[in-house]
Amino acid sequence: MRRLLHVFTNDVRRHLRAPLVIVVFMAIPLAMTALIGAVFGPKPGANALPRIAVLVVDRDKSVASKLLLGAFDSARMKEMFEVTVIGESEGRERMKAGRASAMIVVPERFTLDLMEWKPVALTVVKNPAEQFLPDVAEEAVNTLAVVLSGAVRAFGDEVRGIRTMMDLPLEAFPWASLGPELAKAQSKVIAASKYLDPLLIRLKSEEVTTAGSRPAVTRADVFSAVLPGMAIMFLLFIVQTVMRDILAEREDGTLRRMMSAPLRPLELVGARILGGWLMGLAVLLVMAAAGRLLFGATWGPFGYFLLLGATAAFWVAAFFALFHALVANRNQAGAIGAPVILVFSLFGGSMMSPDAMPAAFRPIGLFTPNRWFIDGAALVRDGRFPLAAVAVLGASGLALLALAVPALLRQTRSAS
Amino acid sequence: MLEIRNLTKSYGDVLALDRFSLDLAKGEVLGLLGPNGAGKTTLISILAGTLGGFTGTVTFQGQSLFASRQLKNRLGIVPQDMAFYEDLSAMDNLLFWGGLYDVPRAELKRRAAEILELVELAGRAKEPVKKFSGGMKRRLNTAIGLLHKPDLLLLDEPTVGIDVQAKVSILDIIRNVGAAGTAVIFTTHQLAEVETACSRVAIMDKGRILAQGTLDELVRIVGERTFVEISGEFGAGAFSEAIQDMPAPSVELMSAGDNLALLAVSDTDQIPRVMDRLFGRKLAVTDLTIKSPNLETVFLKLTGRSLRD
Repeated sequence: MRRLLHVFTNDVRRHLRAPLVIVVFMAIPLAMTALIGAVFGPKPGANALPRIAVLVVDRDKSVASKLLLGAFDSARMKEMFEVTVIGESEGRERMKAGRASAMIVVPERFTLDLMEWKPVALTVVKNPAEQFLPDVAEEAVNTLAVVLSGAVRAFGDEVRGIRTMMDLPLEAFPWASLGPELAKAQSKVIAASKYLDPLLIRLKSEEVTTAGSRPAVTRADVFSAVLPGMAIMFLLFIVQTVMRDILAEREDGTLRRMMSAPLRPLELVGARILGGWLMGLAVLLVMAAAGRLLFGATWGPFGYFLLLGATAAFWVAAFFALFHALVANRNQAGAIGAPVILVFSLFGGSMMSPDAMPAAFRPIGLFTPNRWFIDGAALVRDGRFPLAAVAVLGASGLALLALAVPALLRQTRSAS
Repeated sequence: MLEIRNLTKSYGDVLALDRFSLDLAKGEVLGLLGPNGAGKTTLISILAGTLGGFTGTVTFQGQSLFASRQLKNRLGIVPQDMAFYEDLSAMDNLLFWGGLYDVPRAELKRRAAEILELVELAGRAKEPVKKFSGGMKRRLNTAIGLLHKPDLLLLDEPTVGIDVQAKVSILDIIRNVGAAGTAVIFTTHQLAEVETACSRVAIMDKGRILAQGTLDELVRIVGERTFVEISGEFGAGAFSEAIQDMPAPSVELMSAGDNLALLAVSDTDQIPRVMDRLFGRKLAVTDLTIKSPNLETVFLKLTGRSLRD
């Protein structure tokens, strides 16, 4: 056991001294996850409407048109609308060029006609190239028109009183008469206020979740869903690289030298498998931590994830122990190993969702560690214990180990 | 200390060791001299415990060398391959390889530092080995075999592919190890190396020992005569015919191959006569070397081939 641990710690030391391959294999899945998340995940603020460009041609240039423009100047409206007061010809040019969603034309005598309770019309010119933004602008103008109409009707007497004064020249304006008109308006506001404040009817907003619906998908959710598939794929690559030492040592003579020492073949084989397993698990945990820190990916209860990761890393180590016992040399291992990993990843769901595959291909994924790890990780993320994944990966990993150990022992003895 | 009896190993139809027997005493440095394919590496691999499927016995310090894995603690192996980890430093390599033997950790560190001094690598102890020259790597390869102070050191061509200075350094180490009481078997096909480092020489070919003894004892096999080594494209039969009626012992054909022949002559006056015979039969001679008796002439006489073949 002492020599087994001695070989194991030496393997870890060697890989830490030359960590480039492992670091690259750890960085690639994180980069791919970032890319996939960026392309397919929801964008920040993606649900917000763009500000609607509205042009206003003010032919009236009086109180009512200023009130209308002032309404667009409130904070809430400014979030939605970008209002530009503009000359009519230039406004029409801009509309032709598609540089605004709508143009509102306030007619001449708009204020005066309103005060005389004459019907007035606001013209809304809409950009036909846009689907709904012009309608939003039209609806907003319509609402303002209703509010303005209501105000004029409510304060009709006062407005008419003020209207008669407005025909007089400025020097003849009866400023003293303005006070009583405003006082009447004030008394109406005070009288109305007891009905308006507090409002009898208020709007209350709330969100309803109906059966079968899901909460909105966040970008972290996308990362959390993508990263396990990437992690298991590159775990396969990393463990294959680590365990390729079995072949390298056979070829460069270090295996023969080790076997000339009092080291038992079983200790050496044990160290190699333990190394692949624990280094694989460590790499998986580092990738999980990096995913959490970089993307806010969630993994669920740590204990469950640790158990799932340990089982998956064990399976992968046992598989590559057997694989390296069966191939002849490093070149062969490289030529066969990479396609095997890619097939696992393709059918196992690392590259695409099994739902996206033809139905006939989906069961193939059940023979891959990728599928079980990905499904298990999804359960853990929901806080559930991944019993099936742990059981299948653990049992099949033990079966692979039972085949790998005698094969590796035979190979070790013959190669030395 | 070491007794090898009737060791036989074959690879299919090829007999690598043919009833090979050898004795080695404590502190003795045995140079095992033989051409490629003579069976040297097979012998070392069997003694190192890394090659099975042989017959015969090997007794080491009174017990079968293969009876217990613990006996491997008394064996040091320096393989022909540079068998260490290039990514690790010299010190880390020594600590790893030494750690496979039953040496306490603290003692191991002390010995590693000592051995690095011995092989003149102390100043580069912490550098990755991949930055070392070929000679430095060879010295490290040797140091790993010595670290646990073995009673028997097996070196398989430890000087292959290195410069003269590194070679001298390794041969010095081998001599000193022997002087300190370790029995050494050292395989090579370099005559000068065994002449320099070994207290005893065994000449080996086709899996058997042809002759063994001290350098003087071996040289006496070929006597006090002058030797003429002739190279060319003549064919063994034609060469023998050309000189067959020359009077012995004035001219004696020691060995003849298609491209190389060795003659022993009692007097250098005989050499022009030999050449006349060869030219008279239009045999193509490209080189002629006159030699005093040495291991090479012994080897040539015993095997009929040069070590370079």
